[in-house]
Amino acid sequence: MERKVLVSRVFDAPIENVWKLWSDPELIKQWWGPDKFTCPVAEIDFKVGGISKVCMVSKELGFGESYSIWQYTKIQPYTSIEFIQNLANKDGIKQKPVDLGMPPDFPTDVKTVVTLKSLDNNKTEMTVLEDADFGQISKFAQMGMEQCFTKMRVTLNL
Amino acid sequence: MNLRRDVFQAIADPSRRAILLLLASQSMTAGAIAANFDTARPTVSKHLLILTECELIDQEQKGREVYYHFNPKKLKEITGWCEQVKDLWDGRLNQMDKLLKKMKSK
Repeated sequence: MERKVLVSRVFDAPIENVWKLWSDPELIKQWWGPDKFTCPVAEIDFKVGGISKVCMVSKELGFGESYSIWQYTKIQPYTSIEFIQNLANKDGIKQKPVDLGMPPDFPTDVKTVVTLKSLDNNKTEMTVLEDADFGQISKFAQMGMEQCFTKMRVTLNL
Repeated sequence: MNLRRDVFQAIADPSRRAILLLLASQSMTAGAIAANFDTARPTVSKHLLILTECELIDQEQKGREVYYHFNPKKLKEITGWCEQVKDLWDGRLNQMDKLLKKMKSK
Protein backbone atom coordinates (compact mmCIF):
# COMPACT_ATOMS: atom_id res chain seq x y z
CA MET A 1 0.00 0.00 0.00
CA GLU A 2 1.60 3.20 -1.17
CA ARG A 3 0.76 6.19 0.89
CA LYS A 4 3.53 8.37 -0.44
CA VAL A 5 3.62 10.00 -3.81
CA LEU A 6 6.88 11.18 -5.28
CA VAL A 7 7.22 13.14 -8.48
CA SER A 8 10.39 14.57 -9.85
CA ARG A 9 11.42 16.57 -12.90
CA VAL A 10 14.52 18.23 -14.29
CA PHE A 11 13.73 21.71 -15.60
CA ASP A 12 15.88 23.56 -18.09
CA ALA A 13 15.84 26.65 -15.87
CA PRO A 14 17.96 28.20 -13.11
CA ILE A 15 17.07 27.38 -9.51
CA GLU A 16 15.99 31.00 -8.84
CA ASN A 17 13.17 30.70 -11.39
CA VAL A 18 12.00 27.35 -10.05
CA TRP A 19 11.98 28.80 -6.52
CA LYS A 20 9.82 31.70 -7.75
CA LEU A 21 7.22 29.19 -8.95
CA TRP A 22 6.51 28.48 -5.27
CA SER A 23 6.67 32.00 -3.84
CA ASP A 24 5.00 34.20 -6.47
CA PRO A 25 1.16 33.96 -6.40
CA GLU A 26 0.86 35.03 -10.03
CA LEU A 27 3.07 32.12 -11.06
CA ILE A 28 1.32 29.65 -8.74
CA LYS A 29 -1.98 30.55 -10.45
CA GLN A 30 -0.43 29.41 -13.71
CA TRP A 31 0.58 25.94 -12.55
CA TRP A 32 -1.53 24.74 -9.59
CA GLY A 33 -4.30 23.85 -12.00
CA PRO A 34 -2.99 21.04 -14.22
CA ASP A 35 -4.14 20.61 -17.82
CA LYS A 36 -7.86 21.45 -18.28
CA PHE A 37 -7.92 23.08 -14.82
CA THR A 38 -7.55 26.72 -13.86
CA CYS A 39 -6.44 28.25 -10.61
CA PRO A 40 -8.52 31.39 -10.01
CA VAL A 41 -7.26 32.00 -6.46
CA ALA A 42 -3.74 31.87 -4.99
CA GLU A 43 -3.32 33.82 -1.76
CA ILE A 44 0.22 33.18 -0.71
CA ASP A 45 1.77 33.83 2.70
CA PHE A 46 5.17 32.36 2.00
CA LYS A 47 6.81 32.11 5.43
CA VAL A 48 7.12 29.48 8.14
CA GLY A 49 3.77 29.41 10.00
CA GLY A 50 2.10 31.23 7.12
CA ILE A 51 -0.94 29.73 5.41
CA SER A 52 -1.51 29.93 1.68
CA LYS A 53 -4.81 29.24 -0.02
CA VAL A 54 -5.11 27.91 -3.55
CA CYS A 55 -8.09 26.87 -5.62
CA MET A 56 -8.46 24.71 -8.68
CA VAL A 57 -11.47 24.27 -10.88
CA SER A 58 -12.28 22.65 -14.22
CA LYS A 59 -15.44 23.58 -16.09
CA GLU A 60 -14.46 21.20 -18.85
CA LEU A 61 -14.22 18.21 -16.51
CA GLY A 62 -17.17 19.33 -14.39
CA PHE A 63 -14.89 19.66 -11.39
CA GLY A 64 -16.11 22.40 -9.02
CA GLU A 65 -13.92 24.82 -7.08
CA SER A 66 -11.61 22.84 -4.82
CA TYR A 67 -9.71 24.84 -2.21
CA SER A 68 -6.57 23.69 -0.45
CA ILE A 69 -4.49 25.35 2.22
CA TRP A 70 -0.76 24.96 2.69
CA GLN A 71 0.68 25.60 6.12
CA TYR A 72 4.42 26.07 5.85
CA THR A 73 6.50 24.22 8.44
CA LYS A 74 9.97 24.71 6.99
CA ILE A 75 11.45 26.94 4.30
CA GLN A 76 15.09 26.74 3.31
CA PRO A 77 15.71 29.24 0.51
CA TYR A 78 16.60 27.61 -2.83
CA THR A 79 16.72 24.20 -1.13
CA SER A 80 13.42 22.97 0.27
CA ILE A 81 9.87 23.90 1.24
CA GLU A 82 7.76 21.85 3.61
CA PHE A 83 4.07 22.34 4.18
CA ILE A 84 0.95 20.53 5.35
CA GLN A 85 -1.81 20.40 2.76
CA ASN A 86 -5.45 20.29 3.76
CA LEU A 87 -8.68 20.54 1.86
CA ALA A 88 -10.47 23.75 2.80
CA ASN A 89 -13.56 25.82 2.12
CA LYS A 90 -13.43 29.10 0.19
CA ASP A 91 -12.61 30.99 3.40
CA GLY A 92 -9.50 28.87 3.81
CA ILE A 93 -10.89 26.92 6.78
CA LYS A 94 -9.70 23.32 6.96
CA GLN A 95 -12.45 20.83 6.07
CA LYS A 96 -12.87 17.13 6.66
CA PRO A 97 -12.47 15.35 3.29
CA VAL A 98 -15.65 13.31 3.98
CA ASP A 99 -17.68 16.54 4.29
CA LEU A 100 -16.47 17.53 0.82
CA GLY A 101 -17.72 14.29 -0.67
CA MET A 102 -14.38 12.46 -0.62
CA PRO A 103 -14.24 8.76 0.26
CA PRO A 104 -13.79 8.03 4.00
CA ASP A 105 -10.20 6.91 3.49
CA PHE A 106 -9.11 10.19 1.86
CA PRO A 107 -6.24 11.58 3.94
CA THR A 108 -6.74 14.76 5.98
CA ASP A 109 -3.20 16.02 6.52
CA VAL A 110 -0.83 15.63 3.61
CA LYS A 111 2.75 16.48 4.46
CA THR A 112 4.41 17.86 1.37
CA VAL A 113 8.12 18.35 0.81
CA VAL A 114 9.49 20.18 -2.22
CA THR A 115 13.20 19.81 -2.83
CA LEU A 116 15.27 21.76 -5.33
CA LYS A 117 18.72 20.91 -6.58
CA SER A 118 20.89 22.89 -8.93
CA LEU A 119 22.39 20.80 -11.75
CA ASP A 120 25.01 21.55 -14.40
CA ASN A 121 24.09 23.73 -17.40
CA ASN A 122 21.70 25.86 -15.36
CA LYS A 123 19.24 23.02 -14.95
CA THR A 124 17.24 22.39 -11.79
CA GLU A 125 15.87 19.17 -10.40
CA MET A 126 12.66 19.48 -8.41
CA THR A 127 11.10 16.73 -6.33
CA VAL A 128 7.69 16.82 -4.70
CA LEU A 129 6.89 14.25 -2.02
CA GLU A 130 3.39 13.93 -0.65
CA ASP A 131 3.14 11.89 2.51
CA ALA A 132 -0.43 11.25 3.55
CA ASP A 133 -1.45 10.67 7.12
CA PHE A 134 -4.07 7.96 7.05
CA GLY A 135 -4.21 7.94 10.84
CA GLN A 136 -4.84 4.87 12.97
CA ILE A 137 -2.22 2.61 11.33
CA SER A 138 1.05 2.08 13.11
CA LYS A 139 4.34 2.53 11.29
CA PHE A 140 4.99 -1.15 11.68
CA ALA A 141 1.70 -2.11 10.10
CA GLN A 142 2.38 0.23 7.22
CA MET A 143 5.71 -1.41 6.51
CA GLY A 144 4.16 -4.84 6.42
CA MET A 145 1.38 -3.51 4.28
CA GLU A 146 3.70 -2.05 1.72
CA GLN A 147 5.50 -5.37 1.31
CA CYS A 148 2.22 -7.21 1.12
CA PHE A 149 0.78 -4.97 -1.55
CA THR A 150 3.92 -4.91 -3.61
CA LYS A 151 3.70 -8.66 -3.79
CA MET A 152 0.03 -8.53 -4.61
CA ARG A 153 0.57 -6.09 -7.37
CA VAL A 154 3.10 -8.44 -8.92
CA THR A 155 0.65 -11.33 -8.66
CA LEU A 156 -2.25 -9.40 -10.08
CA ASN A 157 -0.39 -7.14 -12.50
CA LEU A 158 -2.12 -4.15 -10.98
CA MET B 1 -19.58 -5.51 18.56
CA ASN B 2 -19.43 -3.34 15.51
CA LEU B 3 -17.59 -5.24 12.82
CA ARG B 4 -17.86 -2.61 10.14
CA ARG B 5 -14.33 -1.33 9.71
CA ASP B 6 -12.59 0.77 7.20
CA VAL B 7 -10.25 -0.79 4.71
CA PHE B 8 -7.10 0.61 6.28
CA GLN B 9 -7.93 -0.88 9.63
CA ALA B 10 -8.68 -4.17 7.94
CA ILE B 11 -5.28 -4.41 6.29
CA ALA B 12 -3.39 -3.10 9.32
CA ASP B 13 -3.60 -6.59 10.83
CA PRO B 14 -0.81 -9.01 9.80
CA SER B 15 -3.07 -12.10 9.86
CA ARG B 16 -5.55 -10.43 7.59
CA ARG B 17 -2.81 -9.41 5.21
CA ALA B 18 -1.62 -13.00 5.17
CA ILE B 19 -5.14 -14.15 4.34
CA LEU B 20 -5.33 -11.63 1.50
CA LEU B 21 -2.05 -12.91 0.13
CA LEU B 22 -3.31 -16.50 0.23
CA LEU B 23 -6.52 -15.54 -1.55
CA ALA B 24 -4.68 -13.44 -4.12
CA SER B 25 -3.33 -16.63 -5.67
CA GLN B 26 -6.46 -18.81 -5.39
CA SER B 27 -9.99 -18.97 -3.99
CA MET B 28 -10.27 -21.02 -0.80
CA THR B 29 -12.76 -22.26 1.78
CA ALA B 30 -12.60 -21.00 5.36
CA GLY B 31 -11.30 -24.40 6.44
CA ALA B 32 -8.47 -24.36 3.90
CA ILE B 33 -7.52 -20.84 4.94
CA ALA B 34 -7.58 -21.75 8.65
CA ALA B 35 -5.27 -24.71 7.96
CA ASN B 36 -2.53 -22.17 7.13
CA PHE B 37 -2.69 -20.57 10.57
CA ASP B 38 -2.07 -21.66 14.13
CA THR B 39 -4.87 -19.42 15.39
CA ALA B 40 -8.25 -20.82 16.40
CA ARG B 41 -10.85 -21.27 13.67
CA PRO B 42 -13.26 -18.64 15.14
CA THR B 43 -10.44 -16.07 14.97
CA VAL B 44 -9.94 -16.82 11.29
CA SER B 45 -13.70 -16.56 10.76
CA LYS B 46 -13.68 -13.13 12.40
CA HIS B 47 -10.88 -11.98 10.10
CA LEU B 48 -12.83 -13.26 7.08
CA LEU B 49 -15.92 -11.41 8.26
CA ILE B 50 -14.00 -8.13 8.60
CA LEU B 51 -12.37 -8.56 5.18
CA THR B 52 -15.76 -9.37 3.65
CA GLU B 53 -17.38 -6.31 5.21
CA CYS B 54 -14.70 -4.09 3.71
CA GLU B 55 -15.26 -5.83 0.38
CA LEU B 56 -11.63 -6.84 0.17
CA ILE B 57 -12.89 -10.41 -0.31
CA ASP B 58 -16.14 -11.93 -1.62
CA GLN B 59 -17.93 -15.11 -0.70
CA GLU B 60 -19.31 -17.63 -3.17
CA GLN B 61 -21.44 -20.65 -2.35
CA LYS B 62 -20.38 -23.74 -4.31
CA GLY B 63 -22.53 -26.68 -3.28
CA ARG B 64 -22.06 -27.11 0.46
CA GLU B 65 -18.84 -25.09 0.56
CA VAL B 66 -18.32 -21.35 0.78
CA TYR B 67 -15.34 -20.11 -1.18
CA TYR B 68 -13.59 -16.82 -0.55
CA HIS B 69 -12.19 -14.71 -3.39
CA PHE B 70 -9.87 -11.77 -3.27
CA ASN B 71 -11.42 -8.59 -4.69
CA PRO B 72 -8.71 -6.64 -6.58
CA LYS B 73 -11.16 -3.84 -7.43
CA LYS B 74 -11.24 -2.72 -3.82
CA LEU B 75 -7.46 -2.74 -3.65
CA LYS B 76 -7.31 -0.52 -6.71
CA GLU B 77 -9.71 1.81 -4.97
CA ILE B 78 -7.35 2.27 -2.03
CA THR B 79 -4.34 2.84 -4.21
CA GLY B 80 -6.50 5.31 -6.15
CA TRP B 81 -5.55 8.30 -4.03
CA CYS B 82 -1.85 7.95 -4.86
CA GLU B 83 -2.52 7.58 -8.56
CA GLN B 84 -4.78 10.62 -8.68
CA VAL B 85 -2.24 12.74 -6.84
CA LYS B 86 0.51 11.56 -9.16
CA ASP B 87 -1.54 12.47 -12.23
CA LEU B 88 -2.29 15.91 -10.81
CA TRP B 89 1.40 16.56 -10.16
CA ASP B 90 2.45 15.32 -13.59
CA GLY B 91 0.03 17.87 -15.03
CA ARG B 92 1.37 20.61 -12.78
CA LEU B 93 4.98 19.84 -13.66
CA ASN B 94 4.07 20.21 -17.34
CA GLN B 95 2.58 23.64 -16.60
CA MET B 96 5.72 24.59 -14.69
CA ASP B 97 7.89 23.52 -17.57
CA LYS B 98 5.97 25.77 -19.98
CA LEU B 99 6.07 28.62 -17.48
CA LEU B 100 9.83 28.36 -16.97
CA LYS B 101 10.39 28.42 -20.72
CA LYS B 102 8.33 31.61 -20.92
CA MET B 103 10.32 33.17 -18.06
CA LYS B 104 13.55 32.33 -19.83
CA SER B 105 12.59 33.94 -23.12
CA LYS B 106 11.64 37.22 -21.38
